[in-house]
Amino acid sequence: MRETEEDNEAEQQQEQEQETLLKPLHESLDAHPDDASLHFELGHSLWIQGGEAKEKAAEHFFISAKLNPQNGAAFKFLGHYYRRVSLDTQRSLKCYQRAVALNPDDSDSGEGLCDLLDEAGKETLEVAVCRDASDKSPRAFWAFRRLGYLQVHQKKWSEAVQSLQHAIRGYPTCADLWQALGIAYQRLGRFTAAIKSYGRAIELNETLVFAWVESGNIYLMLGSFKKGVEQFQQALKTSPQCVSAYYGLASGLLGLSKECLKLGAFKWGASLLKEAAEVATACICLVGNISCIWKLHGDTQLMYAKCYPWMGEGQNLEISREAYNASILSWKQTCSLAVTSARCSYQRALHLAPWQANIYSDIAISSDFVTSLSKTCGHDLSSWKLAEKMSVGALLLEGYNYEFWLALGYLSDYSALKQHAIIRGLQLDISSAVAWSYLGRLYRKEGEEKLARQAFDCARSIDPALALPWAGMAANFDTRESAPDEAFESCLRAVQILPLAEFQIGLAKLALLNGHLSSLQVFGAIQLAVQRAPHYPETHNLNGLVYEARKDYLSAATSYRIASHAINASSGSVPYSQIRDISINLARSLAMAGYAVDALCECEKLKKEGMLDGRGLQIYAFSLWQLGKNDLALSVVRNLAASVSTMEQISVSTPVSFICRLLYHISGLDAAITSILKMPKELFQSSKVSFIVSAIHALDRCNRLKPVVLSSCTFLTSYEEITEMHFLIALGKLVEDGSKYGLGFQSGVSHLKRTLHIYPNSSLIRNLLGYLLLSSNELSSIHVATRCCKLNPFDLPSHQGLKLSSDILGAGAVACYAVGNSSPKLSFPTCPNQCLNEPGAIRHLQKYLHQQPWSCNARYLLILNYLQKAREERFPHHLCVMLERLISVALSNKLYSKTDTSYQYQKFQLLLCASEISLQCRNVINCISHAKKASKIELADCYLFFAHLLLCRVHAMKGELLNLQREYAKCLELKTGFHIGWICLKLIKSQHKLQIDSNFLDFCFEECSKEGANSRNMWVAIFKLVRSLISIRDWDFLSAEEFLAEACSLVGDESCFYLCHGAVCMELARQRPGLHFLSLAQKSIAKAQKNSRIPLPLTSVLMAQAEGSLGSREKWARCLRLEWFTWPPEMRPAELFFQMHLLAKNLNDSSDSLSNVEFCQSPQRWVLRAIHTNPSCLRYWKVLQVLVE
Amino acid sequence: MKLAGLKSIENAHDESVWAVTWVPATETRPPLLLTGSLDETVRLWKSDDLVLERTNTGHCLGVASVAAHPLGRIAASSSLDSFVRVFDVDSNATIATLEAPPSEVWQMKFDPKGNILAVAGGGSASVKLWDTNSWQHVATLSIPRPEASQATKPIDKSGSKKFVLSVSWSLDGRRIACGSMDGTISVFDVARAKFLHHLEGHYMPVRSLAYSPSEPRLLFSASDDGHVHMYDAEAKTLVGSMSGHASWVLSVDVSPDGAALATGSSDRTVRLWDLSMRAAVQTMSNHADQVWGVAFRPPGGTDTRAGRLASVSDDKSISLYDYS
Repeated sequence: MRETEEDNEAEQQQEQEQETLLKPLHESLDAHPDDASLHFELGHSLWIQGGEAKEKAAEHFFISAKLNPQNGAAFKFLGHYYRRVSLDTQRSLKCYQRAVALNPDDSDSGEGLCDLLDEAGKETLEVAVCRDASDKSPRAFWAFRRLGYLQVHQKKWSEAVQSLQHAIRGYPTCADLWQALGIAYQRLGRFTAAIKSYGRAIELNETLVFAWVESGNIYLMLGSFKKGVEQFQQALKTSPQCVSAYYGLASGLLGLSKECLKLGAFKWGASLLKEAAEVATACICLVGNISCIWKLHGDTQLMYAKCYPWMGEGQNLEISREAYNASILSWKQTCSLAVTSARCSYQRALHLAPWQANIYSDIAISSDFVTSLSKTCGHDLSSWKLAEKMSVGALLLEGYNYEFWLALGYLSDYSALKQHAIIRGLQLDISSAVAWSYLGRLYRKEGEEKLARQAFDCARSIDPALALPWAGMAANFDTRESAPDEAFESCLRAVQILPLAEFQIGLAKLALLNGHLSSLQVFGAIQLAVQRAPHYPETHNLNGLVYEARKDYLSAATSYRIASHAINASSGSVPYSQIRDISINLARSLAMAGYAVDALCECEKLKKEGMLDGRGLQIYAFSLWQLGKNDLALSVVRNLAASVSTMEQISVSTPVSFICRLLYHISGLDAAITSILKMPKELFQSSKVSFIVSAIHALDRCNRLKPVVLSSCTFLTSYEEITEMHFLIALGKLVEDGSKYGLGFQSGVSHLKRTLHIYPNSSLIRNLLGYLLLSSNELSSIHVATRCCKLNPFDLPSHQGLKLSSDILGAGAVACYAVGNSSPKLSFPTCPNQCLNEPGAIRHLQKYLHQQPWSCNARYLLILNYLQKAREERFPHHLCVMLERLISVALSNKLYSKTDTSYQYQKFQLLLCASEISLQCRNVINCISHAKKASKIELADCYLFFAHLLLCRVHAMKGELLNLQREYAKCLELKTGFHIGWICLKLIKSQHKLQIDSNFLDFCFEECSKEGANSRNMWVAIFKLVRSLISIRDWDFLSAEEFLAEACSLVGDESCFYLCHGAVCMELARQRPGLHFLSLAQKSIAKAQKNSRIPLPLTSVLMAQAEGSLGSREKWARCLRLEWFTWPPEMRPAELFFQMHLLAKNLNDSSDSLSNVEFCQSPQRWVLRAIHTNPSCLRYWKVLQVLVE
Repeated sequence: MKLAGLKSIENAHDESVWAVTWVPATETRPPLLLTGSLDETVRLWKSDDLVLERTNTGHCLGVASVAAHPLGRIAASSSLDSFVRVFDVDSNATIATLEAPPSEVWQMKFDPKGNILAVAGGGSASVKLWDTNSWQHVATLSIPRPEASQATKPIDKSGSKKFVLSVSWSLDGRRIACGSMDGTISVFDVARAKFLHHLEGHYMPVRSLAYSPSEPRLLFSASDDGHVHMYDAEAKTLVGSMSGHASWVLSVDVSPDGAALATGSSDRTVRLWDLSMRAAVQTMSNHADQVWGVAFRPPGGTDTRAGRLASVSDDKSISLYDYS
């Protein structure tokens, strides 16, 4: 109650307020009763008040209009009044007309006028009014809008576009306008513009289902099904009952799935189709009497039946026949259920719209499919085939449609009718590629190869994107007109265009003929074929062959087994040879996959059925041998050998090489050779056998097989075969000329060098040559090895030959101590053979590792090279850290847990590297642990020696003499065949004064240098050098000189020895006056200078001293000057500056060669620089003092 | 005037039921209900309990129409592949197989005397008449084509426009009316095999026609435009138009007394119309999908005083009603 009271009060208040508002107006109107604007104002106020006041307002408006007939607003309100209050349409119309005429921009009156006209159904008048207004004022947007809508309604699309565009300028946020513009654009065929307009409309108003649906339709029309599907889904979100959105969604999904099928993604396509069928069903639930929805449903179901893939559940070897049959059955059932449902849907569509010809055609196609699936013609009322009859039905309704003729041509059984129908189709549309290709197919079936070719050619030239003509061309290769390769290419194209099982099987067959079985395209094709044609044994057989070509024997065996199940399921009519082929294939792949027992089983089954031929016997023997039944295997081999004589010449090579190999494996080399010698010569007339015989020959030292090999070698023809044979011969030479110390590398190398001269391109030969050179333990050949390998950037591991060129490069690089140092900063390598690209080795190995991160060999070699580099640079910290990380990564590789010797050796080396790095970083504990780990690896003693050597070093460093002695003794006990080991041991021994049987060590060294004649001198010389160093340490320069002189005489071209000898001689000359040692020193130093590739520091200064002592001042000066340049600028020692001061001072007066180095500064400055470099030397200070004074 | 549901059989067929008719009673048996379905079978049902009497197979596609001879001995069924199978109702022996080009058979009706079977000729734009004794084709009643279209379009495109869907005999057997896909109804003089005139009014396919059993001039038509029309077929005039169905009217039948009309529609209902009031008096919505056929039981036989109406639908069911 109170509330209403309050309300009443509020109303009263309002009224009072309004009255107070109106009061002045009334008053002024009283004062000026002829003022039109006052009347209007009052009327307006009253109009706003509403209710009964409107009557009064109308009166005032009326007066106002009368007084001022130019006031459009008055007429507008009058119009409103007549229209809404007094319901006088005629007057209202007139008032509105007047208002619009006065002010064309007045949208209220305009809309009112048009609404009235619209209600009266006067469309033409409405258009005229709008056009009038829009002509009068460009700002009459209401008129443009109205006009646009009307034009859309009248289907005047291009005019509508203009009006709507203009209207949109006035109402840019009006979604309906955008939508109307979209329709107009769409009808004009400007689809992109239409999509944009619809998009804008949707942006403004998300609930515009029409815009969603239409833009989806446009997307479908443009072929972007994905986008279309999204649009329809959006539409359905807004309006879940929208039939056209459902229809669009289903057809979008159908289109999408067709795209999938074209790609061969059957499962994906099937899932999309399932979804599409569900959508179509949902749509049918909404409206069941639209024939096109039923047709769409039928289409999805038919497509589903066509693409539903067979999934061999859990494909393993043990797949039983029952399981296979069940899975085939369920697959077939799914397909036939789908196609039956498709036919039902088509029938419903036809029942709803029997006048639509294309549905007859659809029923025809689905009926044909049903028959092909069920294989039974069923209960017929007549002999007329249903599919044929229904396609005639389509033709009766639309005889001018060539597609129906084609359908009839496709479905008919009678070739005459077929031909007639196709030709009729061609008459209606001569440029139909499909018709031409059907014609080609028909002619091919009739045996008219030439006509078929022409038809296919025609089809192909009209539409190259049609699969059938390509397949037809491929199938035509029987006519010997096209090469098999061309046929394969054609078929491949057909398969790529259309993933049809028939094409795919054909492709695999052609690949079998051409040897393309391992190609990935064939693999992909046959995989798809298995999904769509799982009931043909041939599919699985070909699938198995493809697997076998890819060396996946287990999968191959599975496929063959399925193939044999398929034969059993297919109820006879499979040719005998195919059954045998599949069984043999199965046995072979089983044997290859390592299932010898199963393979044997298969073979015995074959034997029982008498189907065991030459191929079968091989597998039989092979699996027997694998199972260890050697005697049985031999007897089978005998059978095989007996059957060989009856075979044709071409196919004989495989069994013969098999026999040779098996004999070798079972009875050994000698028995194999004697059997080979017994065999008739003409059996060896092929490259395949030639390789086997040559390999056996290579292992034989007695050369018994030489005549056989020589005769069979003539059958090698291709470049690859010949180089491979040379490879084999080189390996044979290694065996043949080997001694008890090792293989005959030299003869192998020389053979390879000759071969390389003939075949300089063969990387196989090059790599083997490099490998042999590296293995031959020759000092100089290491560098040759790295140079003879060809490094190609894409060095793929083809498993051809023994080593990759990258491996050889890495190993070669690490074999030389001068590894990563091109600029002599830290060391001055005197290796005369130093390769120019040594630092490139590390870079190359990094590339190698980057290319094949899985290759532990690459990592291993990189680590070794880095270790060399680190050693050369005196183990800088950053290199040590990096090496530690590299090694820990390398060691974590699982391969190193294998017991394979090569891997164990690599592991050993890596552990030693790690230990060495720890040693250099003074990390004793790690060092010892790594070394101990290394010493526990099961390797030959000669390697383990080095682990203990390292332990010696670490104990020596720590000064633990007892441990040192123990390890030292262990070293002596293990012994090694490597010189360097003994040399290091000798050094350690002398450094730490270990007095244990000193002669034993020398003896061991002598022992080991007996082997390997070529590098022996070098090692002995080094040993002498070490001994001389020991003598120098004992201040016994005379014996040191002797050792060094011997070393120099052993190795003529190593400047290091000469330098040492020269230095020792100088010292001796200093100790005891006389020219003897001086001249010796001079000679040695001169040789050192001559032999060194780079100017060695200290040689020149020593030379200068020698020359100076011999009295030649000029030569002294020249040599000293040379010395200046041998040092890198940042490494020049103080003494060098000091010497330069001497040079500058002495030659101060003779100013003949002012350009010399020493004159760039005064002697005083030279001394200052010397002091600056080494301030601790008193000598310099003294000289400076003298100079200053 | 009302309908009362008697019995309904769900899943009477495996698929949609498309056609229904009553086979009149003979001396030995009461009337039977004959239904045809998409599942390619024709079934015979015993009234009133709708006991399945027999299932006839033999069609390769869905059965679109069934017709029964007025004497009740023979019946015919036609399927979408345009085979007409004429069989003995009691023994299911095939009497004749009438083969037409596909798309040229749709609805069939026997004439009231049972001498001629009229077959709506679908795409042939004609009605074909078969003699029921010799089973020979006796006449073709063609709808004349408009002259203009023949002149301008040399390609035969108009055939599908005149696709004939439905056919009906007048009570006296002198007239045949056929309904086409474009909404026109054509009336023929049977004796002279001559086209008389068109009945205009519908603008969508006319799927069902029924002459009144009491008045030979009166023709009822059901069309996709949702209307049921009543024509004076002789005078070429539209007597009445009845609307009420929300969707296509698929089938129409007149009650034996000529006072009521039953229609089946896509809106899933069966309606009973009072002809005197020209309005629907009852709507049965027991079907879950569109109703393809309605049929009143003809009088005759021993205990058939009570009126019966049967309806068949896409939901695979048959319903039987008591009409009183």
